[in-house]
Amino acid sequence: MPVATRSFGEAFAVIAGRDGVRDDAGALAEAAIDGLVPRWIVRPASLDQLSRVLALACDGRLAVIPRGAGTSLELGNPPARVDVVLDLAGLAQVIEYNPDDLTITVQAGISAGALAAVLAPHRQWLTLDPPGVAGRTVGGLAATSASGSLRPRYGTFRDLLLGVRFVQADGVVTWGGSKVVKSVSGYDVPKLMVGALGTLGVLGEMTLRLHPLPEAERSWLIVFDSARAAQALVERVVDSALQPSRLEIFNEAALRIVSGESSGVGIAVSIGSVTEAVREQGERLAEIARSSGRRVLALPDGFWDKAGLAMSAPAGSTALQVSALADRLAGTVGAIEEAFRVASPGAVVRLSGCAAFGTLRVVVSGAEVAEIAAVVSRLRALVDEVGGSVVVACGPVELRRAVDPWGPIEPGAFALMRTLRAEFDPGRVLNPGRYVGGL
Amino acid sequence: MPLSGPFLQELERIVGANGLVRTFEGRLVYECDMHTFYKGAPDAVALPKGSDEVVEIVNLCRRERVPIVPRGSGTGLIGGAMAPLGGVMIGTNRMDAILEVDYPNRCATVQPGLINLALTRAVASRGYFFAPDPSSQMVSSIGGNVATNAGGPHCLKYGITTNHILGIELVTGTGELIRLGGKAADRPGYDLLGVAVGSEGTFGIVTAVTVRLLHAAEAVKTILASFTAIEDASEAVSAIIAAGIVPAALEMLDELMIRAINEGTGAGYPKDAAAVLLIELDGPSAEVEAQGERAARICWERGALEVRVAADVAERALLWKGRKEAAGAVGRLAPTYLLQDAVVPRSKLPAIMRELIAIGARHRVQIANVFHAGDGNLHPLILYDDREPAELERAKAANEELLRACIEMGGTVTGEHGVGLDKAKNLPLQYGEADLNFMYRLRRAFDPDAIMNPGKLLPSHPACGEGFRPARPRVPDGAWI
Repeated sequence: MPVATRSFGEAFAVIAGRDGVRDDAGALAEAAIDGLVPRWIVRPASLDQLSRVLALACDGRLAVIPRGAGTSLELGNPPARVDVVLDLAGLAQVIEYNPDDLTITVQAGISAGALAAVLAPHRQWLTLDPPGVAGRTVGGLAATSASGSLRPRYGTFRDLLLGVRFVQADGVVTWGGSKVVKSVSGYDVPKLMVGALGTLGVLGEMTLRLHPLPEAERSWLIVFDSARAAQALVERVVDSALQPSRLEIFNEAALRIVSGESSGVGIAVSIGSVTEAVREQGERLAEIARSSGRRVLALPDGFWDKAGLAMSAPAGSTALQVSALADRLAGTVGAIEEAFRVASPGAVVRLSGCAAFGTLRVVVSGAEVAEIAAVVSRLRALVDEVGGSVVVACGPVELRRAVDPWGPIEPGAFALMRTLRAEFDPGRVLNPGRYVGGL
Repeated sequence: MPLSGPFLQELERIVGANGLVRTFEGRLVYECDMHTFYKGAPDAVALPKGSDEVVEIVNLCRRERVPIVPRGSGTGLIGGAMAPLGGVMIGTNRMDAILEVDYPNRCATVQPGLINLALTRAVASRGYFFAPDPSSQMVSSIGGNVATNAGGPHCLKYGITTNHILGIELVTGTGELIRLGGKAADRPGYDLLGVAVGSEGTFGIVTAVTVRLLHAAEAVKTILASFTAIEDASEAVSAIIAAGIVPAALEMLDELMIRAINEGTGAGYPKDAAAVLLIELDGPSAEVEAQGERAARICWERGALEVRVAADVAERALLWKGRKEAAGAVGRLAPTYLLQDAVVPRSKLPAIMRELIAIGARHRVQIANVFHAGDGNLHPLILYDDREPAELERAKAANEELLRACIEMGGTVTGEHGVGLDKAKNLPLQYGEADLNFMYRLRRAFDPDAIMNPGKLLPSHPACGEGFRPARPRVPDGAWI
């Protein structure tokens, strides 16, 4: 049978429909990633379409960049090639919601905001709150392993992903994990997919662990004149019987935006529980603060939305994720601020993070690329001795060329990562070059 | 496959004469774990004292293509720590030191042979504990807990082992010592740690583990509620969870189990009870008080026969006594039993209980149940008389049917015991060709020569030993440019 020679664009249209493929110059220019303009934007409307799009791209050795809400496209190295931007916003269905089991299965392109609206009538929630969470897709949150201030109580995405249906680079639809809250049958494949930036497969459907909304939740702010004093309080809270759902540190620049305080270092604490217990734990927190010569300020509802907004990175700015250890919290905060003061005196540096684990988010504006690159290198040298890391979560492409956005990876572990990447995507179809070590 | 003289000499050079078990009687001790159906003694048992020795052993075995079976305390329930193909067993028992306790960062680094409870005992005076609490925690090793991703009654609130492991040092099947994770969170790159936990020794041998330590709860409250119908108890469970209460443990016993326990240990459960619910809450006192009252009220509202609240430590122990002795108590009903571990979505508990009764009737076996009701994790005990071969066959048939029923209800074939040799054959119930193929290839990245615990965790393909081959999706006909 003679076969016609047609363009990939036509073939994508056979799979995803005419409306599922765009190749007009305006749309393509808008979808450019780090200056690389794709040849097609393909929007599959089903998992089957997604699978066939990838199979075709794999056969054609095309480079595919999966995109959810498009909020994390500045994460990682600039891609080596871009042919297809794979728009996953068309996969936004709720597949199965079982409120009694506290689990839900959704397509990966659903936004966290839309998901929250489905869960709210049942007083349940997905316990993740990175900056800008509502507008991000659940698949994107998982692929980038985003987490926020709820971490002390609820962990990160790896603790919430029970099962995942993903499409490998060659189009094979694969399931890992289970749909129940407890399972050890076979390898824990969902963990491998969290934070992998879609390089081992594009996330299609996910079964998530939900939590009941606490009956009551209140938050308080305690302001200190130094990070060291703030750390001392954090240690007392962690070592007490209190069970905070959030224990977040804010530096002065961040504090100024999220509260009326004009100076100092803030610790914001949330307690979620039954009403009586929230009140009682609040009193205990006040007592701990009082014995440190501080008082607690009750925070209004909406504080955490405001904090999320304050820590979102506006276009053109840079966000860093710095991970050190809890017992070095004050030292790390001090080192970050000092490094910017030296390298980039005019920069505005907002910092917040999980005080109990020493994981910090730093949003920088008004700094030159070379200045930020110098700070990143300096901070890496600092956190290296405790096995910490500094990752450029977003920032201009020039910065991500000047400095490795991921930082060094332990050689033994990296050799395995390279093996896995070569095994599951030998043609480098998925996000080529973006991931750690340029994988 | 007997090992050659030079091989054994080399092994002895690595671990010393005291660290090598070669005699028939000595090796017999290692022929099975707690799943005694499966027997296979290793050709030699090596007991290294450090990770450098483990590296040498793995390199030696790799050179000679000798299978390796890792083993901790041998308390597994899945035939994971026995040697179906012979080879070298590496026992971690002599690597049982606590290397570091880091209170400011709330973590500890230990060797894999350390007993689970020994860690909690070492840090208890400072108010901390290691959360995973498999029933075997008095004897099971932390390395074994990591290998099986062990659970326990209190994982409803605290999560299973993987939620408490910050880092491991692993000697892979290629003899390389690698570090995955560590004290600092959020390392960039694939979460190899997450997938190595629960890999049952098929990726390599863990030689050090960094674990999270939790602050012990201020207050604990234990409530025992009994019901005349398992549906009522199940509804109480759902209502408690729906109320936003996450108990540390939420255990249920069924009628047959209650009878066995009452006759055995005299736990004194109400005679007419068809289901007993054990609820344990922990946390700040005010929370535990308030939630305890609510949980008790929910039980009354769902028609509880009786609700007992333990007033002190002694009473708590009494309420737990029956639950802890459940497996022993069924000895009064039958000489032996098959212990199953499977999961259904919690809301399917009443349905699976009805199904279990039907399965028991069909195969003429008694099934007693004790389960972690909060997460739908069933532990049916299928009773049989091992002197009657036909009865064993009926028990096995009931066992397989039960697993299929759990999968049909959206569950999984193992909730906390693991796969091992026992359930490798059951994985295709839950996973398709593509899924199993992915897992095979994952395994090969860590162990390209297939020497690490071969035959465990994944089924062998009926057609070839190499793994499953998924079909690729169809792309539009044509030649595309």
